[in-house]
Amino acid sequence: MIRPVFALTLRSLLLQKRTIVLGLVAAAPVLMALIYALARSPGSHDHSFYSDLVQQLFVPTVASLISLVFGVSAFGDEREDGTILYLVATPQPRRELIVAKIAAAWAATLILLVPSLLASGLLSLRTGSSTALIGWPLLGVLLASLAYCAGSVLLSLYTRRPIVIGVLYILLWEGSIATFAASAAKLSISAYGRAFTAHVLPQASRPVASTAVSALVLLVVVAVTGWAAARALTRVELP
Amino acid sequence: MSAPAIEFAGVSRWYGDTVALADVSFTAGGGVIGLLGHNGAGKSTTLKLCAGFSTPSSGEVRIFGVNPRKTPSVYSRIGIVPDLSPPWPFLSGRQVVELSARLHNVADPRAAAARAIESVDLLSAADRPVGEFSHGMRQRIKLAQALAHDPELLLLDEPLNGLDPAQRSHMIELLSRLGHEGRTVVVSSHVLHEVERMAPRVLVLVNGHLVAEGSTTAIRRLISERPRRVLVTADGNGRALARELLAVANVDAVRLVDGTIEVETSDPEAFSRALPQAATSTDTLLRRINPVGDDLESVYAYLHERARGQGR
Repeated sequence: MIRPVFALTLRSLLLQKRTIVLGLVAAAPVLMALIYALARSPGSHDHSFYSDLVQQLFVPTVASLISLVFGVSAFGDEREDGTILYLVATPQPRRELIVAKIAAAWAATLILLVPSLLASGLLSLRTGSSTALIGWPLLGVLLASLAYCAGSVLLSLYTRRPIVIGVLYILLWEGSIATFAASAAKLSISAYGRAFTAHVLPQASRPVASTAVSALVLLVVVAVTGWAAARALTRVELP
Repeated sequence: MSAPAIEFAGVSRWYGDTVALADVSFTAGGGVIGLLGHNGAGKSTTLKLCAGFSTPSSGEVRIFGVNPRKTPSVYSRIGIVPDLSPPWPFLSGRQVVELSARLHNVADPRAAAARAIESVDLLSAADRPVGEFSHGMRQRIKLAQALAHDPELLLLDEPLNGLDPAQRSHMIELLSRLGHEGRTVVVSSHVLHEVERMAPRVLVLVNGHLVAEGSTTAIRRLISERPRRVLVTADGNGRALARELLAVANVDAVRLVDGTIEVETSDPEAFSRALPQAATSTDTLLRRINPVGDDLESVYAYLHERARGQGR
């Protein structure tokens, strides 16, 4: 019974005013790519710019922030207004409720991220763009945002201030320490997301793992946080 | 033998230093049961524990023999109407009830929703968004979503709140009927006369303690027979009036304090009939008659004291 909960949550997430704000966040890389495209000179390094845009801005900040807000809100909004009771007081397996919530948060995130990444890539790479140059970074963004969404859903079941904690984590850990300190990168979701960009762009910073290992790590993060969230749902104090 | 719908065994629930429920034990099954108590008495905590929305700090809660937190499949036998928390405002009433039926694995959710909406008399507004509903309509749609899967146990937190008199009567009639059908219907309220219209059995909670339990009639008798105090202010010979009142049947004590006569009686009605006669015979003019402790808080305080005296 994942579909009705997925549809309900997706609708609930997208109907909020904050979706407009998140849309603006998603538009930031497009704006930067547009400025780059307009100001570009014959000697500009399109691949370097695109690689930096994806690795330094898109994955660790834009994708993580949007995933965090949607992931946290998937249960957080319902905890706030009490509608969570109408889902929890049903015989549906907790695991399925969590899968539906993560899937809805992920879908809402991708509705904003995918057009943003495609537009950023096409603008900054111009005629040099190819399926591989867009596709591999996109795959990294897809998997990293799925892991962020799952982690955020778990966070929303453990604390009443998930956004504050999540933003601190993204800014302090993912956005700065793990982005610039190679030793910390192995404990960072975005580092594994960035590894997919490095697969097709040699200018990118050295990846923490191969694409296969990165995909595996991110999927394990999703599975473990999803399992923990299902457990948390049976213990959380409801309104 | 099947397990009772609700089983509380030595259940306590505290939040930090605040005790919401203290060593409560009871079983319930079949018919309407009133959960009576003042605000903050522990009614909502009791219902939350029954619904599996909270875990006891100590003791055990079993619903149909299992812990709903660990066995969600038992929710197919439970319908829940929370006090606050209206359903998703962007869904229509019908969508809310259909979704509930679907999530409770009902074979034909559409037909079940139509039946439930009809039973709460909300067919005419069923296709409007819940966000546009009045409070009374929200209460009824919450009940409809709880009824959609034909549950054996219904938990309702203050279902009569915010309803107009006609809606109250309809709700009371509906809940009574559900009880007569053999379902266990637990209704919380802080108003005894509302509860006694539908619940043959009540549990009275005071400050988290279960202080009285039994038939509504017995609880009503217990409350009405409790000793009452009446303050009488009169012009004339107050001392003589006090002496006269002491002779009235069922008057347990009379004190004269600063010109005001304080009377303790176990039968206030008989006392009110005897008072004018006593005033006439002692040639005093009654100025003011003020019953003390007739409010609900005092009733609960009395039941609490009585329970402590009995060592409950």
